[in-house]
Amino acid sequence: MTKNTHAILLEYIQSEIISNEITSKIATSDDLLSTGIIDSLSIMRLIAFIEERFDQKVPPQDLVIENFISIDAMATYILQNPPSPK
Amino acid sequence: MITESADKYPDKDAFRCGTNKISYSELADKSGQLAYALRDAGLQREDRVGVYLERSLETAIAIYGVMCAGGVYVPLDPLAPSDRTIAQVTDCQIQIIISSPAQKTGLKTLIEKVKLTLLIGLSVDWPVPSLTWKDLETLPKNPKINILEHDLAYIMYTSGSTGSPKGIMHTHHSGLAYVKLSTKLYELSNQDVVATHAPLHFDISTFGYLSSPYTGATSVVIPEAYTKMPASLAQLISREKISIWYSVPLALIQLLQHGVLPDWDFSSLRWVLFGGEVFPAHYLRSLMREWNTAQFSNVYGPAEVNQCTYFHLNELPVGDSDVPIGRVWDNTEVLIIDSQDSQVPSGTSGELLVRSATMMQGYWNQPELTEKSFYRHSSTSGIEKVYYRTGDQVRRSDSGDLIFLGRIDRQVKVRGYRIELDEISRLLKNNQKIEGAAVYLTADDQGEKIIAATIITKDNILLDESEILQYLAKYLPRYAIPTLILFKRSIPRNSNGKIDYQKLQQLNIND
Repeated sequence: MTKNTHAILLEYIQSEIISNEITSKIATSDDLLSTGIIDSLSIMRLIAFIEERFDQKVPPQDLVIENFISIDAMATYILQNPPSPK
Repeated sequence: MITESADKYPDKDAFRCGTNKISYSELADKSGQLAYALRDAGLQREDRVGVYLERSLETAIAIYGVMCAGGVYVPLDPLAPSDRTIAQVTDCQIQIIISSPAQKTGLKTLIEKVKLTLLIGLSVDWPVPSLTWKDLETLPKNPKINILEHDLAYIMYTSGSTGSPKGIMHTHHSGLAYVKLSTKLYELSNQDVVATHAPLHFDISTFGYLSSPYTGATSVVIPEAYTKMPASLAQLISREKISIWYSVPLALIQLLQHGVLPDWDFSSLRWVLFGGEVFPAHYLRSLMREWNTAQFSNVYGPAEVNQCTYFHLNELPVGDSDVPIGRVWDNTEVLIIDSQDSQVPSGTSGELLVRSATMMQGYWNQPELTEKSFYRHSSTSGIEKVYYRTGDQVRRSDSGDLIFLGRIDRQVKVRGYRIELDEISRLLKNNQKIEGAAVYLTADDQGEKIIAATIITKDNILLDESEILQYLAKYLPRYAIPTLILFKRSIPRNSNGKIDYQKLQQLNIND
């Protein structure tokens, strides 16, 4: 599950978010927020993706640096975050 | 200026960033050592020095060090595409760059293209002399440099309508005039904690970097990661007991939408300043209700004049009309003129011209563009008065406040018809189902100019093209109705938070 989550996030970020030249390759431990790989608008897109893809609700109070600093952090967060009730 | 604040408040925090902080005496010492290193490397008065740094304490040391050495600081956006940065470095002949180890990748690309005489802030094994921040600590402080107030202090690059960025030149005089007026208007004191949300390359950063230290206040430089995570940012504002906030509206809108504001105590907030773009009235209303103990002020002024007007919101804005840009501040006068450079009758719209102590010297290396941006008028005394042409269309209301109406240069002609693009986007934004909209010119398959609109709908409301066309047709002549309507999740913005029309057009071509 974890490995899968990492791969899904990595693929989405690499194909949908990154548009600039520097980030040809990113590691799952890379700080995506401080380096500008993810900007303030793409983080909102990423969250919409997570909600849809992993069938979860990401409440505003979870929009904190600790949860989204890297792909590793996001994967951990997604694992702990319960699926949204249907 | 810094040495004065250092004499008065030596141990007070001048800047904080994350868990790091620097006192006024440390800032004076470190910037003095940096100035020494710069002079030692051959820096002459008015030589340009690039500041290529992430949001950090080093930004403050860098700019004061450069100014103290008699140099001109030029902020370079580390998140910008490398070609853009290279163009800026080349344009103003930067030979020294101040940076940090975090920027190594970007610097490497830069070094391959431009020849530097010194790199400060990290050690590298490239063929360029370098000094680390630690190396500077052993150097003497405070070189004695003769600086005149009309010497250049900083150059800020902004996107030019021609496509290549233009460098706005400010002197110590114009910078200090802004510092004095802004600190007076918002009654800054050494008790204040100022949030510096804007990156150094954005002109509104001068409030946190220059105005705050002038009064002995503490400036909190917000680390990059916080600018993206609203809930963390809200927590920071509360924890740092920020008393003055200044940013573009977008940052405040994100705080409002995702910041979980009721969870935190914002009683320290005294002033909330916003500028750079129009703050939609309904968001502003909600935020003012949320932060009901703070006073809100709309700040207006192109980077060329720093700031020139203000509008304090003494009550909640009513309806959907934009908040006025307000009154002209001290030591400044304005004219409203028509396309023939004649003053318009009171209450009529026209282009705003500004004459102020805070005005720029001109655009770096672009005398023609500079001249075009100025309006010269000789008074009876024979003294020439120089005004800056803002390109902004305004009108004075009955109450005497200036109202911003749009850009004069967003006026377009399609098939011979004259159209204001901002009129279309304004109508779209007034629609209850639309969250955001950008209207711009693009080309169809035949290469014909057409108007395009990129639209974000509110809360995933379903909205189809025909509904929008019907809505617009209610207000617009047929020729002004966009030919292309695109629904997107976001509208690209540049690093200043303003809509990036160039990117929008490129996106269309790629589609």
